[in-house]
Amino acid sequence: MSDATTTAKSSKRSLSAQLGLWIALAVAAVSMLSIATFDDRGPETTEERIQRLSDSFACPECDGQSVSESNAAVAATIRALIRDRVAEGMSDTEIRDELIRGYSSDVLLNPPSEGISALVWILPVVFVVFGVGGWIAAVRRTGGGTRTATDDDRQLVADALDGGHDTPDGGRDDAS
Amino acid sequence: MNSALGFAFSVLGLSASVFGALGGVYALVRRTPHLLTTIRQWAGLVIIAAVGCFVVMEVALFQRDYTVKFVQLVGSDATPPLFNFAALWSALEGSIILWTFILAGYVGAYLWKFRKQITDPLHGWTLVVLLTICAFFFALMVGPSNPFTEVAVPANFVGQGPNPLLQNHVLVAFHPPMLYLGFVGFSVPFAFAIAALITGRVGEGWLVETRRWTVAAWAFLTLGIVLGAWWSYEVLGWGGYWAWDPVENASLLPWLTGTAYLHSVMVQERRGMLRVWNLSLLCSTFALTILGTFLSRSGVVDSVHAFSEGGVGPWMLAFFAVVSAVSVGLIAWRGDRLRSPGAIDSPLSREASFLANNVIFGALAFVVLLGTVFPLLAEAYDDTRLTIGRPYFDSMARPIAFVMLFLMAAAPVLPWRKASGELLSERLFWPAVIGVGSMFVAIVLGARGFYPMLTFGLGGFAAGAALRQVALATRRQGWRGFVGRTNGGMIVHLGVVLLAVGVASSEAYKTDRTATLLPGQSMEVAGHTFTYDSFAGDETSARIKIWANVRIDGDEVYTPAQTRYTQRGMIVPTPSVKPGFTEDLFLVLDDAPRNGDVTAPIRLRVVVRPMITWLWAGGALMGFGSLLAIFPGRRRRGTEPVSAAVTTAAERDPVPA
Repeated sequence: MSDATTTAKSSKRSLSAQLGLWIALAVAAVSMLSIATFDDRGPETTEERIQRLSDSFACPECDGQSVSESNAAVAATIRALIRDRVAEGMSDTEIRDELIRGYSSDVLLNPPSEGISALVWILPVVFVVFGVGGWIAAVRRTGGGTRTATDDDRQLVADALDGGHDTPDGGRDDAS
Repeated sequence: MNSALGFAFSVLGLSASVFGALGGVYALVRRTPHLLTTIRQWAGLVIIAAVGCFVVMEVALFQRDYTVKFVQLVGSDATPPLFNFAALWSALEGSIILWTFILAGYVGAYLWKFRKQITDPLHGWTLVVLLTICAFFFALMVGPSNPFTEVAVPANFVGQGPNPLLQNHVLVAFHPPMLYLGFVGFSVPFAFAIAALITGRVGEGWLVETRRWTVAAWAFLTLGIVLGAWWSYEVLGWGGYWAWDPVENASLLPWLTGTAYLHSVMVQERRGMLRVWNLSLLCSTFALTILGTFLSRSGVVDSVHAFSEGGVGPWMLAFFAVVSAVSVGLIAWRGDRLRSPGAIDSPLSREASFLANNVIFGALAFVVLLGTVFPLLAEAYDDTRLTIGRPYFDSMARPIAFVMLFLMAAAPVLPWRKASGELLSERLFWPAVIGVGSMFVAIVLGARGFYPMLTFGLGGFAAGAALRQVALATRRQGWRGFVGRTNGGMIVHLGVVLLAVGVASSEAYKTDRTATLLPGQSMEVAGHTFTYDSFAGDETSARIKIWANVRIDGDEVYTPAQTRYTQRGMIVPTPSVKPGFTEDLFLVLDDAPRNGDVTAPIRLRVVVRPMITWLWAGGALMGFGSLLAIFPGRRRRGTEPVSAAVTTAAERDPVPA
């Protein structure tokens, strides 16, 4: 991209005017996100709760599909059981515990956060922490700042002034 | 006859690839270029053998030659021609034939492209690696999963045909070959990387040579995955398209590392940095295609597409171990030549943003791998039985996807080296306006919910950044600016935005209702009326199909069906979908009267998913963008003022291997 046009444009708008525009955009974004969040459909309806619960249990016979997706008989049984228990006023945890007792712990699609399966939740966080740490280390490493021109660099410039040559590949077109 | 011929071709393929690879190594070590050219003949034989195996198996399928074990497994008198052709990849042994066939195709393309440079050790070693991979797959065909084994045919045998799910939709003819073109395509850049490590020519040359091969493999893999999602939506009848099923995850893993590689490789081309990193990413991408095949084809994980045969499992795992060990060993051995001469100057630079992209793609790949293999590990460790399903993957992938969208907005406007705040403010202003504008439009149209709104905002932001780049490129160079890698990449980004918006809306605003209806009765879902009109059926020798005529909004009739495949006795629901730009109406016949009683009630499930077609459109746009990226872009004159990669002493004075 041509930096000349960029600077020409930015000089038209002063820095403080730019800052103002950005603040306005940020305020607009935050307010729309808030509208979207708080003007939502209101508290969860019973139907939505049943759907959410059915989404979170695995059908014991169908390779990791949830009971809400599966067409198997046992999935229909569990769906009916969830509907009954919700109607009886049981809490999510009570329903969960009953299903674990009735089937086994692998009826949960979301691995529990205690015991060995806690690792599934912890390890990704560790990965991200190390990844971000590595990124920070990489971008803060000094040494690239004050490099002097080598003979190769001078040669490159000299070639350019001579009229130059095409790159063999011609594909280094990732300009910006 | 077919059986013997097929086996002969497998043995020919195995011996030709082994001799070719060994002869190549000998010629390369002894530095005898004239001997090296014979590798071409060996490779030619490998190609003939692979094509031979493929053709013989297709002929056997069409001749209904049940003396061939594989045909007995998946063939049937009643299968229609298209699905009979596709039956080749409907089970394990045949899919290895397809794999080998495609690999041979890539070897052929490679030989043609580099026919003049065959005596160059870099190309010699690449062919050696490719032939070694061929040898592995031919060995599978000769040994543990021989599809051509001759078997006795039981009296009156008519065959079961392929799995009913695989003879239900035309996409079955496209999704697996596309996916395999992607999987196998990564063999070429991988072989190049290994050759570069062996010859010590680890500079940027091999990267430039393999760029288009990598983009092509990536594009095939992308299309394969999206077609798979579409097939799952159109055929499986559970109302979704992506279940985080282990086999889906196995195809996603190399896609994630491959995507990371396509981005970080630009840093190496431009600045000569991240060499170890790029080689590791490329080698892991290839290794993950093998691991994925192991996971999906060995029966260790339960999944709708896992083939139950277990014979090749240990072989695949061993091959994965060899690939990983060789890659790690070679990278360590060449460590001294891989040191980067440069450093990243600023966090606000193109190279830093590519590195951030790598962290985030790496994180998603890690989560997907962990979630897929953890249940296996836990069970092996202390017999804990646990399931890791959709809710886990959804909650982990969501924040990562938001960071990806943000990077897609910010990174394309960043210059190399470093950027000033002013520059960013100038370049990001209009993209940000588009982002806020999309949220405003969504709010006015009645969209609510934090996650979808964030997707619309960040999606608009990212689309704005991509459009800005496209506009600049075409304004400067006309249509010529539209092709080439930079612009192709931006079109791919636009595809990703469409896909993200499609996923967010179709998940957040989906309505899913089931009702039992008598003829003439109706149900109301999301403002549409679904009336059950009548019931019908149709019978052929292969299947019995029954369907309900359902009138939508008193107008068009749709026919959700159930098909019972007589040979396998399996009932497969066939959903009926009314697609649309703003929403899809998806009908499934959950339960139907078995005895043909037309007055009995049916159970009908209706799923309304807004904007799901955006997902397929996004996939298509990603494919189109990749095509533009493969197309040679504007030739940059070598003299244009860009910063050239700094070369190390080792590269300036290449040491012959």
